[in-house]
Amino acid sequence: MAYDNSLSFVYFGPTKIIFGSGSSTAELESEMSALGCSRAVVVTDPGIIKAGLSEKIIKTLGDKCVGVFSDVPQDTGIDVVNRGAAFAREKGADIVISIGGGSVIDTAKCMCILLTEGGDLANFEGIQLLTRPQTPHIVIPTTAGTGSEVTWIAVVFDRGKGQKILIVESYITPRVAILDPQLTLTLPPLLTASTGMDAMTHAIEAMTSMHREPISAGMALHAIRLVSTYLPPCIQDGNNINARGQMQLAATMAGWAFCNSMVGLVHAMAHSIGAVSHIPHGVSCGIMLPYCMDYNIDDGEPEVIKIYATVAQALGVSTRNDEPKRAAKAAVKEIFDLLKRIGHPLKLSEFGVKEADILKAADLSMADGAIVNNIRYVLGKDEVLGIYRRAL
Amino acid sequence: MATYNAFTQEWLDAWKQKIAESQEYKEIAKDWEGSVALICNADPSKNVPKPVYLFTDYWHGDVRDFLVCDEAKTQTGKFIMTGDYARWKQVAKKELGATKALMQGKLKLKGDLTYVVRNVKTVNKVIDLLTEVNTVWPDDV
Repeated sequence: MAYDNSLSFVYFGPTKIIFGSGSSTAELESEMSALGCSRAVVVTDPGIIKAGLSEKIIKTLGDKCVGVFSDVPQDTGIDVVNRGAAFAREKGADIVISIGGGSVIDTAKCMCILLTEGGDLANFEGIQLLTRPQTPHIVIPTTAGTGSEVTWIAVVFDRGKGQKILIVESYITPRVAILDPQLTLTLPPLLTASTGMDAMTHAIEAMTSMHREPISAGMALHAIRLVSTYLPPCIQDGNNINARGQMQLAATMAGWAFCNSMVGLVHAMAHSIGAVSHIPHGVSCGIMLPYCMDYNIDDGEPEVIKIYATVAQALGVSTRNDEPKRAAKAAVKEIFDLLKRIGHPLKLSEFGVKEADILKAADLSMADGAIVNNIRYVLGKDEVLGIYRRAL
Repeated sequence: MATYNAFTQEWLDAWKQKIAESQEYKEIAKDWEGSVALICNADPSKNVPKPVYLFTDYWHGDVRDFLVCDEAKTQTGKFIMTGDYARWKQVAKKELGATKALMQGKLKLKGDLTYVVRNVKTVNKVIDLLTEVNTVWPDDV
């Protein structure tokens, strides 16, 4: 893929990755010691505890676990973070270990800020305000999709304002992510499919962002290969530990890719229809992805078509010698086919979405920050509405 | 064409006028409410001996106060953006996108980030209009 001669960029991805079946118990203690820490507070949620995913890990830590904070809801909030930080401070914690999905990981990222800086999380709303390393954080993810284990973004609900706040800080990037595929074996098929498509969307959008750069593109292309190869086997057999592990790697690489290159139209539209119709994020990304790819390709811009032709190669449906437009279109078709193979919803109407909903969502999409990163300039609301109608 | 020394009241007035005259800005910024304080850290090696404090205020497509101010005034801003001189110059010359500068930690923002993200086109337009002001930068002198 060609880049301008004036190419300049910053790539940031400091998280150490430990990968392997059983690594969450085998490697945790030594990683904690390597960080110079001896008093861990484990952050998790009731579902993880009920599923028995945290028990062995906590047991492994023994006396080094000084407390477990499991009061994390599906969408975490400032109040939750403040309570969690107070709990960790009371226990004298010098490290936070999160075991869970996006909400748990974001809670832990924000607790680390308060453990170092003190105060209330509401005072840290903003971007890149921190000036020093924060309390160490080791992440043990139990899903494969968000990429949160390597990103420096946290989304937290402010119940006072009734809205989500974004915290973007290089210093909240987790120090270590332990990817243990055993922890994702119990994910049900629909959640496996939707989180997997979240990772696929991160990867494809990182390739086609206005801020794309070669290191992220490398990560994204391999993530695309891994998702297309290993997501279907995860659905066919949830206990396929090899496939589960490859999906974890894909999600992590896609996380690095999108956090550096940013996301575009799919996320703008997925955020918006999610807000209006309460469709889970991974599902709305999966449904919108092929339609947005098709929209971007239809502009006819040769550079855009070349990028999607490269995506088609990573998806295994094209070779370097294929005519680019045909290859780009093959990428779109392959995403539709992949959705069918994994039993992922294909249309917004499956979630009861109506014309009135997409009208509202089209307005929201035009005001979503991700839309400005899209490789094709979106001229107006009617264009977005057209894409929604096709996906309806 | 008139030229203006960066960070002076005359420079701010010229920028404000460019924004006020832009119909495109009025349309894009129709939902924006509130002030943005800009802080440029001192850089004596670039002829910026002291920090620079600026206050800019916007309201539904209109522009209100654009002032060279003191530090206390900047703390009243709905948003406070801080950065080194070299970064501000890069952003003002569009050599570095504001969003990218924020994401990469080259500029810092205090305030409701989701609001800025939702209104990123407004932010970009304001910077576009600054590039139309003929500016003499302190280290160009």
